[in-house]
Amino acid sequence: MTISSPRGFDRRSFLRSSAFAALGASAAVPLLGACAPQSSSKNASGGKSDPIKVGVISPLSGAWTVYGKAHIAGFKLAVDEINAAGGTLGRKWEIVQADSQTQPQVVTEQANRLIREENVAFLAGTFSSAERNAAGPVVTAADKLLLYPTFYEGQSQKYYPGVCNPNIFMFGPEPSEQVWPHMDYIVKKHGGKFFMVGSDYVWPRETNRLTKQKLTELGGKVVGEVYIPFNTPQYGSVLSQIKKSGADVIFLSLTGSDTVNFRRQLAAAGMKKDFIVWTVDDEEAATSGIGPEATAGDYVSFDYFWSIDTPNNAAFRKKVRAASGNVLMDTVGVAMYNAAHMAAKAIELAGDVSTDGIREKLGGMTFDKAPQGSITMRAEDHQAVLPSYLVKVRPNWTGTDDMFEVVHKVASVTPSAAACTDLPLKAK
Amino acid sequence: MTQVISVALDAISTSLVLALVAMGLAVVFGLVRVINMGHGAMLALGAYITWTLAQHGLPFFVSVIVSALLVGVIGLLFEVVLIRHFYDKQFETLLITWAFYLVATQLIKVFWGTDLHSVANPIRGTFTIGGAVIGRYVAVVSLVSLLLFASAGWVMYRTSVGIRVRAMIQNREMAMMLGVRASAMYRAIFALGAMLAGLAGGLISPMFSVEPDMGTLWLVRSFFVVTVGGLGSLVGGTLIGSALMGGMTTLVSLVAQQVFAQTVVFALAVIALRFRPAGILGKKAA
Repeated sequence: MTISSPRGFDRRSFLRSSAFAALGASAAVPLLGACAPQSSSKNASGGKSDPIKVGVISPLSGAWTVYGKAHIAGFKLAVDEINAAGGTLGRKWEIVQADSQTQPQVVTEQANRLIREENVAFLAGTFSSAERNAAGPVVTAADKLLLYPTFYEGQSQKYYPGVCNPNIFMFGPEPSEQVWPHMDYIVKKHGGKFFMVGSDYVWPRETNRLTKQKLTELGGKVVGEVYIPFNTPQYGSVLSQIKKSGADVIFLSLTGSDTVNFRRQLAAAGMKKDFIVWTVDDEEAATSGIGPEATAGDYVSFDYFWSIDTPNNAAFRKKVRAASGNVLMDTVGVAMYNAAHMAAKAIELAGDVSTDGIREKLGGMTFDKAPQGSITMRAEDHQAVLPSYLVKVRPNWTGTDDMFEVVHKVASVTPSAAACTDLPLKAK
Repeated sequence: MTQVISVALDAISTSLVLALVAMGLAVVFGLVRVINMGHGAMLALGAYITWTLAQHGLPFFVSVIVSALLVGVIGLLFEVVLIRHFYDKQFETLLITWAFYLVATQLIKVFWGTDLHSVANPIRGTFTIGGAVIGRYVAVVSLVSLLLFASAGWVMYRTSVGIRVRAMIQNREMAMMLGVRASAMYRAIFALGAMLAGLAGGLISPMFSVEPDMGTLWLVRSFFVVTVGGLGSLVGGTLIGSALMGGMTTLVSLVAQQVFAQTVVFALAVIALRFRPAGILGKKAA
């Protein structure tokens, strides 16, 4: 899930954050020079027994708090496992946690703080596209890596340095992985007339553009496309538009409380029997918030669900239960988990903790222990090759265990190539 | 024809739900001139208390009434402890009520956590009017909203309490000299406003997402409703304000994108305020 970046916003926050980074860089030079003797021992690549410090930026407060729990819990779980096994290169990991407050400008500040003051070896996290785009210039300027966990709109050069950035790795699915593999199934089963409802920013618009492209290939068509400003409580008018559109499927990319409000009102208007709902946003936490009545029979697609039945996931579920009680683990938490383990492996292979070393070894790495199945980090564009699941919400579910039933799955989806100008991505 | 009825029903129910949500704010803002930034948190409290009671097996409507009363009590305490010292200082009350919003929202997070909650729809199903389908529960909430405004109108214009309240709005000193107990009345009105917010929060909880920040969704819209409709014009002003903010969005989005519809409506609201600074039905503040 990705939030809040109408295009102007991206550009502005980019300008602001790059100015910030430049300022920070120029201020940091004399500062570092002055305290060089003391700081050398605290350096990221540090001594042989110093801990490896990792900066994690999660949405722990603000509008997206609901997704923050799994986000940080996934990473922590992996770090606990890594440390229990003796650490990496004999060094334990230490998480330095930061709260994004769901605000891009806070991400810029925190990323700078983690890198300059805490001397972290690399960063993991940020949540929305806007947050990732805010971190992009910072990691580029400092030449640190960012491991990004969220499902997002895919990479396209115009959003550099938030994407198409050799310093960023994408562990979450993009539309050709999250949506495309299931379109044939949905269209054959329910028809090809789609009504698209999304939040008004880059992720829904890009996702819908790509979905439309595939839908046309399959002989379907879009009979309505509506974008909703953030924090819209009432949906009466959208519902009447859908009613008269003759759609078969409502394709949803609304986020946060908007998706909850929309789906509850759709159900209350008695429209669920006439339309199929397919959402690409509502993982376990959001579906819990909407309740069984308004979600029954709807489709959701992601690379991971808590209820998927694989040996890896069975083991993972046991660990989550033991470690963090009742956290609702989801695609984002799992991506954070995978990111930590894969980074640990990359450090082992490289033999030292360096940006170049991790980048080189992470590219092309396959991780067999991922909860969703075997995943691979594509070296060329830093996009994870992931499984993809389409689930149907069971009627009268009582919790995440019996919430979703897998109806269609693809064990490994090769994503479309990123629309970046310089592939493969490599250090400048 | 069905289409027209359907749009009309949408516009009316959207407006009435919005009016219900804004009513507590209108009461406090219009009658005692306190800009209650805490209104959103009071809505959220109403929804959370309703959710909790319903979880414990209380019937939905009983839960709503209990939560309205509890939020009313919270409002009363808030008035007694803080607000009453600041009635003449509008900027201070703005800050204090905003602080209330922040503290209450954080407390909600502490007590209830940040997970989204849902309240089951107590009256499921739909019915048909002239071929147009409407959800039963939405219809009930719209009716409750209408009833509340009708009784507010009756109290304001047909009872001695109403006369005293109106006297206070027009000329506070004079009303006090004539024997109106201003402090007791202010207290009662503030508590009533909080209670109405709690009631609205409880009633809308089956239709909307129950989360700590849910109030922010409504605060700006409610303010527009109250200022556009007219300060001090509790019944007519709030209903007209809601019709403009809610109903117009429905109508404009028939022919344009939602983003555009909402922009047009906010622009209209600003234009309305340019020519009628005290609101469409507002008279010059006394």
